[in-house]
Amino acid sequence: MSALHPFSLLAIAAALPAFAWILPAPTGGLATAGLALMLPLVPDPRWGVRVVRLALLTAAPFWLFLRLLHDGPTTVAIGGRITTMVASFVWLVAVLSPDRLVEAMVARGWSLAVAYVFAATLSAVPVLKARARRIVEAQRCRGLSPRGSVANRLRALRALALPLVLSALHEVDERTLALETRGLGAGVPRTPLAAPPDRPAERVARWALLLLCLAALIWRLA
Amino acid sequence: MSLARVYIYLWPVPHGSWPVSVRLLALIPVAVAISLALSAAVDAVALPLFLDTTGTILATALAGPVVGIAVGVLTSAVNTLRNPTFWPFVVVQVIVALYAGLAARAGLFRSLKTAVPTGLGLGVIASLTSTPISYFVFGCTTTGGIALTTALGRALGLPPLGACFFGSFVSDFGDKAVTFALVAAVLHALPRRTAARFPLALRAIGAT
Amino acid sequence: MRILALEEVTFWYPATATPALESVSLEVGSGEVVALVGRGGAGASTLLLIAAGLAPRVTGGRLAGSVTRGARAGIVLPTPWTQLSGMAFTVWDEVAFGPANLGWPEHEITRHVDRALERLEITPLASRDPVTLSGGELQRVIVAGILAMDPDLVLLDEPTAELDPEGARAVWRLVRSLAGEGKAVILATSDVDALPGVADRIIWLDQGSVRALGEPSLLAEDAMCEAGLGTTVAGLWRAAGLGAPYPLTVVDAAQRWR
Repeated sequence: MSALHPFSLLAIAAALPAFAWILPAPTGGLATAGLALMLPLVPDPRWGVRVVRLALLTAAPFWLFLRLLHDGPTTVAIGGRITTMVASFVWLVAVLSPDRLVEAMVARGWSLAVAYVFAATLSAVPVLKARARRIVEAQRCRGLSPRGSVANRLRALRALALPLVLSALHEVDERTLALETRGLGAGVPRTPLAAPPDRPAERVARWALLLLCLAALIWRLA
Repeated sequence: MSLARVYIYLWPVPHGSWPVSVRLLALIPVAVAISLALSAAVDAVALPLFLDTTGTILATALAGPVVGIAVGVLTSAVNTLRNPTFWPFVVVQVIVALYAGLAARAGLFRSLKTAVPTGLGLGVIASLTSTPISYFVFGCTTTGGIALTTALGRALGLPPLGACFFGSFVSDFGDKAVTFALVAAVLHALPRRTAARFPLALRAIGAT
Repeated sequence: MRILALEEVTFWYPATATPALESVSLEVGSGEVVALVGRGGAGASTLLLIAAGLAPRVTGGRLAGSVTRGARAGIVLPTPWTQLSGMAFTVWDEVAFGPANLGWPEHEITRHVDRALERLEITPLASRDPVTLSGGELQRVIVAGILAMDPDLVLLDEPTAELDPEGARAVWRLVRSLAGEGKAVILATSDVDALPGVADRIIWLDQGSVRALGEPSLLAEDAMCEAGLGTTVAGLWRAAGLGAPYPLTVVDAAQRWR
C-alpha cells in the first residue's frame, strides 16, 4: 500500500470522508467507515490491526459524547462520518512517508517554497515540543507548581512560554542564513531526488475518484 | 472605520506578500511548532487554555496576514495528524490571522492594555466561527473540554445550538486574551535589531 | 587568483547606531587560509556573513565600502542544529539539499555528495535520520552539506565548537586539504592553538576593527597574549616571566629550551 504514489494515498484519504458527508446518512457514513477501517488490513492484517485499534480508540470518545448530546439515529449518522474521517487519517499517517511526499511535490513542479514549508514544519514540531518539555522540567525543579491563584499561574505560564518563543524566533534568523547559503532562495528549478514513480493507472484512478465525488455531490444536491 | 480602509488593511504589505523571502519561509514552520509546543507549558500550570493560535497571531504580527494564514492552515494540518477532527476548524485559524493582521496594523500590540481587550474581541469572533462548525459537522463533540462545557450548557437548560456556543465561548474567550497578551510580551521582549528584520513587527507594537 | 576583496567596509545591523564592523579591508586569494581571531562580538561572524554575501542582503542593515567576490561562497554557521534543512529525512538527502537547490543533474549531485561524506568520514551515517545524530556528527554533516556545493570560498564560523579533539584535528586537516585544491578559506575560531599549523594569515579583530594582521607568529606577540588571544605555549612563557620573543608552538618552545 505504501508503494502507491503519495498523491494516490492522499486522494483516498480525502475521498472517503468526502463521501461520508455527501452520501445519505446513516448508510453512507457507516459504509465509508467500514471501508476506511478495512484499508489498513489489506496489505498486512497484523500491522493493520494496530492501526484499526488506534482509529477506534480515537473515535470512541466521539460516540460517547454524541450519545450524551443526541438521540440514537443522529448519533449513528454523525458517528459514522466522524469514524470515517478518523480512520482514513490514521491510515494515511501510518502509510505516507513525508520524504516521499516532498519529493513527489518537487518532481510534480510544486513550488520549492511550499514543499519546504511542509517538510520543515514536520521536522520542527517534535524538536520544539521536546524543548518545551525540557523548559517545563527545569522550571519544575525550581519550584513551579500547578497550584496557586490564576494570576500566579498566568505569571508562571509567561515564565515558561516567553523563553521558548523567543529562542525559537532567534533561530529563525540562523535558519534563514543557513537556507540562503544552501541555495534555497537561488530561484533555480530544484533537482528532484529519487522521485516516487507515478503509474498511469494511478493517475486515472485519482481522476476517477474526484469525478465520482463530484457526481455524488450533484446527485445529492439535485 | 470605512469598508475601504478594512479592505486596505487586509491587503498584504508589498514585501510581506508572495513570493515570500526565505526569512518569512523559515518563520512559518517555527511559528507552527510554537503553537503546538505551548500545550506543554499550559499543561504544566493546569489552566484551561489552548494557546494553539499563538504562532498564527505571532507570525501575523511579524509578517502580515498572508504568512499568518499559512501558519494557521499548517497548524490545523499538523493537529489533524493527531486528531483528524481538527481539520474543519482551519476556518477559525484563517479568521484569527485576518483579525490579528488588522490588530497589528493598528498597533494594538503596543501594550497589555490594548492587547488584552483585542484578544477578548477575537474570543467572541472565534467562538462565533467555531460554533456552527462544531454543531453542524460534529454535533458539538469536538474536543473533550468543549464537549464537557457544552454538556454543562445543556444541563443549564440552553437549547442545543446555544449550548454549543456556550461551550466554544467559555473555552475561546480567555484563551484568545491570554494569547494576545503573550504575543505582545514576545514582541516587546524581541531585540529591536531582530524585530526590524520582519516587515510588520515595529508597526504592531506602535514603534513606527 | 583573487577570490574576495573588501575595501574599507563598514557595516551596521538594522536599528543599531554603532557599526559591527568598521573600515575593514581584506584580500583573499585561492589556496589561502585566513583566520579571524578576537573576543566574542569583535566582528568575526559579521565579517564572514559579509564575505558570504548574506549581509546586508539577508540580515538587513547598511554597508559602506565595497565588496568584490569572484566565486561562489558557502558558510558554516556556529550552531549545527539550526542549519539542518528540515527537508531531508536521511543524512544523504541532507547533504544533497544544497546541490539539488542549485539544479545540478542527478549524477553530479551523487558524485559531490558521496565525496563530501567521504571527506568528513561520515559515509556510514548516510541513511540515518539527521535528528538522531549527536552534536559532533551533526557538525560534520553540516560541513559536508556546504562542501557538496563545491564553493570556491569556504567560510567557517567556529567549525570545531561541537567536536572532540580528534574531530577538531580532522577539520583542520580538511581545511588544509581544501586550500591545497585551490579553495580560499576564511575561518573564525577560538581554538588559536590549532592556527599555526592551519592558517596562512591571522587577522586580529577588536570591536569591529582590524587591530593587527600578519603571519601566525602574531599569536605569540605580547599584545595578543595580553588580550588572551595568544597560543597557550606563548601565554605560558609570558606568564612564567621568560623573555620575549615568546615561542608559538610546543615545538618552538622545545627548541628554545635546548
